[in-house]
Amino acid sequence: MKMKSRVEKTYIYGILIFFSLLFLAPLFWMVTTSLKSPEELYLFPPKWIPSSLHFENFKEAWISQPFTQFLKNSLTVTILATLGQIVSSALVAYGFARFTFKGRDFLFMVLLATMMIPWEVTMIPLYMEFNFLGWINTLKPLIVPAWFGAPFYIFLMRQFIMGIPKELDEAARIDGANSFQIFYKIYLPLMKPILILVGVFSMLNCWNDYLGPLVFLNDQSKYTLTLGLAQFKGMFGVDMEGIMAITFLISIPPLILFFAAQRYIVDDVSKSGVKG
Amino acid sequence: MRKISLLAMILVLVSAFSLAACSNSSSGEKASGGSGEEKDGKGNTTLRFATWDSGEALKIQQDIAKKFEEKNPGVKVQVEAYGDGFDQKLAASFGAKNPPDMMYMWNFPAYSESLEPLDAYLEGDTEMDMDDFYQGLFNYSSMNGKIYGMPAGFTTRVVYYNKDLFDAANVPYPKDGWTWDDFQQIAKKLSDPSKKQYGVGIVPEPDTYDLQGLVWSNGGSFISNDGKEVKGYMNSPKTIESIEILSNLLKKKSAVLVGGKNQQSGDDIFKAGKIAMWESGIWPLAGFKEAKINFGTVEVPSFGAKPAKGVIASSAVSVAKDSKHKELAYKFVKFYSSAEAIKMRTADLPVRISVVKEMNMEQDLLISPFYKMLERSTDTPAFLLNSNWNEINRNLSAAVNAVMLGQDAEKLLNKAVQDSEKYMKK
Amino acid sequence: MMKSLLASPTPYVEIKRKKKIKWDKVVPLLFISPWVIGFLAFTLGPLLYSLFISFYDWPVVGKATFIGLDNYKTMFMDDPLFWQSLWVTVKFAALFVPLNIVVALVLAILLNQNVKGHSFFRTFFYLPSVISGVALAMIWAWVFNGEYGILNYFLSLVDITGPNWLNETGWALIAMVIASLWGQGTMMLIFLAGLKGISGELYEAASIDGANKLTQFFKITLPLLTPTILFNVITTIIAAFQQLTLALLLTGGGPLNSTYFYAMYVYENAFKYFKMGYSSANAWFMFLIVLGLTMLVFKSSSAWVYYEGEVKKK
Repeated sequence: MKMKSRVEKTYIYGILIFFSLLFLAPLFWMVTTSLKSPEELYLFPPKWIPSSLHFENFKEAWISQPFTQFLKNSLTVTILATLGQIVSSALVAYGFARFTFKGRDFLFMVLLATMMIPWEVTMIPLYMEFNFLGWINTLKPLIVPAWFGAPFYIFLMRQFIMGIPKELDEAARIDGANSFQIFYKIYLPLMKPILILVGVFSMLNCWNDYLGPLVFLNDQSKYTLTLGLAQFKGMFGVDMEGIMAITFLISIPPLILFFAAQRYIVDDVSKSGVKG
Repeated sequence: MRKISLLAMILVLVSAFSLAACSNSSSGEKASGGSGEEKDGKGNTTLRFATWDSGEALKIQQDIAKKFEEKNPGVKVQVEAYGDGFDQKLAASFGAKNPPDMMYMWNFPAYSESLEPLDAYLEGDTEMDMDDFYQGLFNYSSMNGKIYGMPAGFTTRVVYYNKDLFDAANVPYPKDGWTWDDFQQIAKKLSDPSKKQYGVGIVPEPDTYDLQGLVWSNGGSFISNDGKEVKGYMNSPKTIESIEILSNLLKKKSAVLVGGKNQQSGDDIFKAGKIAMWESGIWPLAGFKEAKINFGTVEVPSFGAKPAKGVIASSAVSVAKDSKHKELAYKFVKFYSSAEAIKMRTADLPVRISVVKEMNMEQDLLISPFYKMLERSTDTPAFLLNSNWNEINRNLSAAVNAVMLGQDAEKLLNKAVQDSEKYMKK
Repeated sequence: MMKSLLASPTPYVEIKRKKKIKWDKVVPLLFISPWVIGFLAFTLGPLLYSLFISFYDWPVVGKATFIGLDNYKTMFMDDPLFWQSLWVTVKFAALFVPLNIVVALVLAILLNQNVKGHSFFRTFFYLPSVISGVALAMIWAWVFNGEYGILNYFLSLVDITGPNWLNETGWALIAMVIASLWGQGTMMLIFLAGLKGISGELYEAASIDGANKLTQFFKITLPLLTPTILFNVITTIIAAFQQLTLALLLTGGGPLNSTYFYAMYVYENAFKYFKMGYSSANAWFMFLIVLGLTMLVFKSSSAWVYYEGEVKKK
């Protein structure tokens, strides 16, 4: 396993670099577009490196709408919703993975089914419900439902838990621990990678959510970053520099988070004691 | 298992009934208890104003709203920018009976049932000088003889041309009164596929709304004037001929397919200097200036001696029927169409004759073709003539799309007529 | 095994035996209660409302009229776009689901090879998933344009005349698949987490037994990865059927409806044609199809998915 031949390594690096280029080239264009002057934007064949870098494009785009306020709202929603998502999804996933109870499989199918509901048709009734609760034009519709778990994350965590050998909790049970103690003391530490993975997904999901904020928020002071971004795209015109600049800026926080979090997701698993 | 499913059944039924009940009542009292009545701590009234504009145009609207707030202490105008999610958001809020008080509007057939007719307000208003508006615009914001929106801005469609490309090919600039024959010849001369340069950009899925100008210019039409017949109109030889002009340009490589609203848009290709002519509204004009393109504008070509015709894209402001502050909302609409506010709207064209005169806009060479096209936009667009136009247009759009991709126009338009017959109310 | 779990005796509860038994039934429900409450509060109502409205003609603005099964009848008997969009979606899913799984799995396996700089490669591969939809569509418009697109520009360098990707009926759907594959980062990450969960000791033991790499992959990696594969298959199927953003922003369903996805059909019926009742009927049909597919995959899973800690019903 550890004795890789040089040829094999060259192949692996070759493929990795090839795919990296595939994934990065369009993004490179996004970054350079946001730095170009208006005259250079639409040249063909395209200019990969702008002749002068217009960093002021970022500032102009940022102050063209109250993006600092949007950032605050996005942070509020993302942090609170992600927190709720992790806690509730972990509990529910454990419930489905580690217990046998009547109707479990039926309920789990229902849970999976809720992933498939097309939002186009539940959006209006949901709007009615939030309107009835007085939640329209507040951040609550974007935060509160997250505290009741989401099927995608529950399903993901359930698959992970089901891969953990059961001998662990049987030992703990003999020591007199109850289910909640077992969950808290044994499973949560083991679930760290998957908790962080769900955290990253959920955070990105909230951060980039466009539809929820569009439908449930009215006042600009409540807008999130994606709604701010959408304001560069009207019915009759698109401000490409603005979109590229803001997209670049709002991609940075999730990227940093991902870069920092990834080693906990994929590198530490083997050390955390789960033996496959 | 049985107990749980029983429990689930009961819960399902209970929530179903409560939701049905809730939705029924929400049409009446519930909405008023919700966020409909918005007053902040200082006893201010909040008016909600929805727009589809973005960028600079949005900023202008926010400025106009601020001006209105200054003049009306105690009123706060909340500008809600829905961008291209406009219909979606508006549908959700109308569906849930919680619409904005005022909104941008063009699609009157779809929304008029939920909009407040403004006639009564206008009649009782001695200050409102209706004669100062370009009268043709009211065509576009009226349904069944009632005015549902006050014009706020508009644009007609003209042909933009890149002067540098014309100069390089030694072709004289097009002039008002030119014909489609001229157009085709110029496009041919300005095309050089080896340099990826073409005479004109054509959208593969042109909005049939925009195509109407072309069809009318040839004396054709998509639908009869009474809106009751498409057969013999949508598939008439004149209609077919006008649409084939575009597909022939493509076949002769005098034109290139460019994206419309999606994809890489013709605006961008024009900026890149790869197409010499581009037909559009006022929207890209500021962008072309900013990108320092040397360009001019000209009326659309005509078919020989027949007069060229155009179509208007109009933005009107309407008041929701369910608004709690209709009087105040009308006051806003009135301010919005006042000379003072119209002057602030630099992203599209002024709707008031006095403003156009005062700002000398008809002398502006880039702007004057738009006003000439306004005079030529006297026909009523199809969507105002038949309430099922949306459905009919689905068939028409599919046919036009296929024609642009090189298929036979006559066959496809005949099929579109055939498929549309069931939507024609006799 | 199941018995020992449910009736696990704890030393101090001998006296309260009866109560303890009750707790055993309540505890699992307590764990799943957040989802059950959320489902009843935020999902079930709207879901049933949409079913209810699917029997109505409801133009959103204006009154709803009861029309019985007419929406469903129209859909099956009298709407070619319904079949067209369904067919497009099935084709898309048939291409996208297997490709997405394979690409994500291959990338994950490559990244799992302890190469130097793996954290950077990981970030690169995941990067496209971070970009929000509007910008993504613009990037792809720039890539796929027939005359001025970057993809055809590169192809022309090696003397290939590329197609007009987004304007030819044969290519547009393939362009959609390519663009969708670009966002495989989520799947890749999930696979990677699954791969890292497989102990290295198993491979070492297999090496000692003389198993080669290929055998190891099929005998160790793949079986232990099956729970992850199950998850990815099901969520990718769902994603394929809900694919909307790209079509809406990039092709608008064209050319000639060749990328007119079912989700777009539902969307346009609701928000372009304002036929909310009809759209709900469309949506319920899609819901049933995807549910059926998922149940099929799920039921089959007992035959091919291997859970280490499974509570096997004997």
